[in-house]
Amino acid sequence: MGRGASTNSIPEIENARVLFVIGSNTTEAHPVLALRIKKAVRKGAKLIVADPRRIWLTKLASRHLQLRPGTDVWLLNAMMHTILEEGLQDEEFIRENTEDFDAVREVVARYTPEEAERVTGVAADDIRGAAREYASERHAAIFYTLGITEHACGVDNIWSLSNLVLMTGHLGYESTGLNALRGQNNVQGLNDAGANPMYLPGYQPLDDPEIRGRFSEAWGVEVPERPGYRLDQMISGMQDGRVRAFYLIGENPAHTEPNAAHVEHGLAGLDFLVCQDIFLNESARKYADVVLPASSFAEKEGTFTNTERRVNRVRRAVPLPGNAREDIDIVLQLARALGANWPDYRGAEDVWNEFADLAPNWSGIRYDRLEEVGLQWPCLDEDDPGTAYLHAPRPARPSGRGKFYPVEYQPPIEEPDSEYPFLLSTGRTLYHYNSATMTMRENGVTDKQEDPFVEISPEDASALGVVDGDWLRLTSRRGSIEARASVGDRVYPGLVWMALHFEEARVNLLTNDVTDSLIGIPEYKVCAIKVEPVAPALRPAAR
Amino acid sequence: MARTVEFTLDGQRVAAPEGELLVHAAARHGVFIPTLCHDDKLDPYGGCRMCVVGVEGSPRPLPACATRVAEGLVVSTNSDVPAYRKTLTEMLLAEHLDPSPGGRPNELVDLAEEVGAETPFVLPDAKREPYEDRNRFMGYDPDACILCNRCVRYTQEVMQCSALSLEGRGPHARIVPTHGYSWLDTECELCGGCLSVCPTGAIYEKFEEGTTRPERALEKVKTTCTYCGVGCQIDLNVDPETKRIVKVTSDPTYLPNEGNLCVKGRFAFNFVHHPDRLTEPLVRGEDGELHPTTWEHALSTAAAGLNRVKAEHGAQAIGVLASARLTMEENFAIQKLARTAIGTNSVHSCEAT
Repeated sequence: MGRGASTNSIPEIENARVLFVIGSNTTEAHPVLALRIKKAVRKGAKLIVADPRRIWLTKLASRHLQLRPGTDVWLLNAMMHTILEEGLQDEEFIRENTEDFDAVREVVARYTPEEAERVTGVAADDIRGAAREYASERHAAIFYTLGITEHACGVDNIWSLSNLVLMTGHLGYESTGLNALRGQNNVQGLNDAGANPMYLPGYQPLDDPEIRGRFSEAWGVEVPERPGYRLDQMISGMQDGRVRAFYLIGENPAHTEPNAAHVEHGLAGLDFLVCQDIFLNESARKYADVVLPASSFAEKEGTFTNTERRVNRVRRAVPLPGNAREDIDIVLQLARALGANWPDYRGAEDVWNEFADLAPNWSGIRYDRLEEVGLQWPCLDEDDPGTAYLHAPRPARPSGRGKFYPVEYQPPIEEPDSEYPFLLSTGRTLYHYNSATMTMRENGVTDKQEDPFVEISPEDASALGVVDGDWLRLTSRRGSIEARASVGDRVYPGLVWMALHFEEARVNLLTNDVTDSLIGIPEYKVCAIKVEPVAPALRPAAR
Repeated sequence: MARTVEFTLDGQRVAAPEGELLVHAAARHGVFIPTLCHDDKLDPYGGCRMCVVGVEGSPRPLPACATRVAEGLVVSTNSDVPAYRKTLTEMLLAEHLDPSPGGRPNELVDLAEEVGAETPFVLPDAKREPYEDRNRFMGYDPDACILCNRCVRYTQEVMQCSALSLEGRGPHARIVPTHGYSWLDTECELCGGCLSVCPTGAIYEKFEEGTTRPERALEKVKTTCTYCGVGCQIDLNVDPETKRIVKVTSDPTYLPNEGNLCVKGRFAFNFVHHPDRLTEPLVRGEDGELHPTTWEHALSTAAAGLNRVKAEHGAQAIGVLASARLTMEENFAIQKLARTAIGTNSVHSCEAT
């Protein structure tokens, strides 16, 4: 469609009439946004949830499409098959605002709901019903998150969703669209700001010599032409010697990246490692040459950009502990120590202004306009009130037309077999956050959730001879961890699920580090494991 | 859009959209009607009767928080209404043993002051059984509770879970976790929505490292939550003396969260003051251990190490990982550092999320 962001805004959610939530455990990962979904349902909207697990939202859903992990393309293609078969597509929108529709029509013709039922496990009637409900309502909105993206076919999944949206014309007005729910406070802003090997700030392509020239001129230094390495390439580069040093800021890759043992091995072999963080994590303790004590969100000025593209102010409330410094000061001082000749920034606002001057879609956003309420980009000048929903009146691609991408199903790279018979999927929980360096230090939270746990079906638990709370050993081709069984019907037999948060049971020791070939997203959501009970005598019953 | 209707408010002809709640329509026309059990997040309830007004043709006064504007309605807020309001306030005060627990704001006490009501006497059976809960975030003081049910309705209508219930009758009535278990054992997600809507401070934050300062003396700093990508707007409430965050609140006017928060946003802020925070730069010594050092030494060591790798293997041999935890400005500076001070475009993050 031409923008790397959610199309619509959070307040619009409650006025949608059909909500299609796929690959998002919204009440746990985005609890406050989920309140708008709950409100919409309370106002009479239909909620369709596609998720391998019986997540909380399925309680409110009129349909739960409980698909097997990694079969999203089949499900979505079969929905589109139904839409075209029954003539529910928006012909006028397709004609006026899209291109390459025929390629998708041809592909989805082969994806019948009956065959989809065999692959995905979702009844053909439910697929048809969901397709009809979604296509025939104007205010129909899609919400997705990592359940869609964290696959080797993550980009295929997003293209499929985009095809579905373009086919039904659900774009460019209120309470509709395709909404990627961003998992971290400033993941949208991080990308907007240009922390990307292929894009300069504001999504301006590095391979465009004119753009590179503009940045080189502004910065007084030639911006290198050679594209950088993506994270997955940096990690493999640590193994083969292409990458010899790392500057890690606020990241904990030996916990959060797949095949964590491999990552740790890479960090151990580096020539030089600088870590900048608020806590000393394991990788920094073992491998860093220099550790720089940094600032929490409560100790600094700046902005975060949320999932609806809204730039919100962050303000200093308390002093820094000890000799810790604000991250921005550390970066500026390190740049100077490296010999860079940067202007004198008086603070975060000066840095923001440099960004806004270089990135047209942010030009109109200045600190003095963010005092009361944040502004949503694009915001082109000081009179622009910002943009609540994108792609109005036309899709934002340069041609003004949204592009259909035909997508064929690719099975997950590693599927269960006789040696590793369980499918493991991973995610977040309400009570913790990523590697949990912050939330595990919160006693009130750990009261609710402390020990690592793995969700397993009653059938599988009984076959293994374990009950709720027993310890299980989980083993994949890459590693092994222990966690307590959480027995329940949130997962179906053959599927187990675990959260990524636990330092003593890093699920990313198990996950597969294959990635999407285009953008390098790892396949966190599907790998094959075996599950064995741990003899009770080997573990204390509770801590 | 609803059609506009005209009605009479204290003798004035005024206009409002048909079906608007009387309490809102009156406020827009400058007549402030006090409420206690009402909350704009919740369905009209009309429980406490504090907002009653006279309506021509009605045998009894009607609650403005649950009465909708209609053509020709004749509403009066100044005849018998002040007397009703004073009596109702006194009745609540008569069984309200703990009017300002912990110095927390109390809408009932404010209202009593406004309408000139004083505690006439204390009902002999006003003392309620105390409630202890083993969760570490929230406490409940039945003696400060006026049973307005805002908290229970918040869980049912906004969270749509069954975490809290009104239990018992008469003097035994109180709010408890559903089925009488601890907050930790119910569907409760510890979001603290119940305490955010409590008008009298009966449900309150427990603090491990608290403050004795009354809430009104805390300094509020508006900022953006540091957890997920929703970007809830919050107020960090800071004790001006200790310079510590004491609690997190949010205002119903804030976008996009309208004052709602989750367990992390409301309660998981103690990491900021945790003793494990890094407070000194560290450099690895000859002995293989990390040692505290000065900033000057740490920065020059970092720069020398990176420059050495660059000299030996080229700029592309250095990777820079920025973070979604950091601000826009910090990330902008980091990518600029990679591109101009090191000379590589290898700047990325765990950014799939």
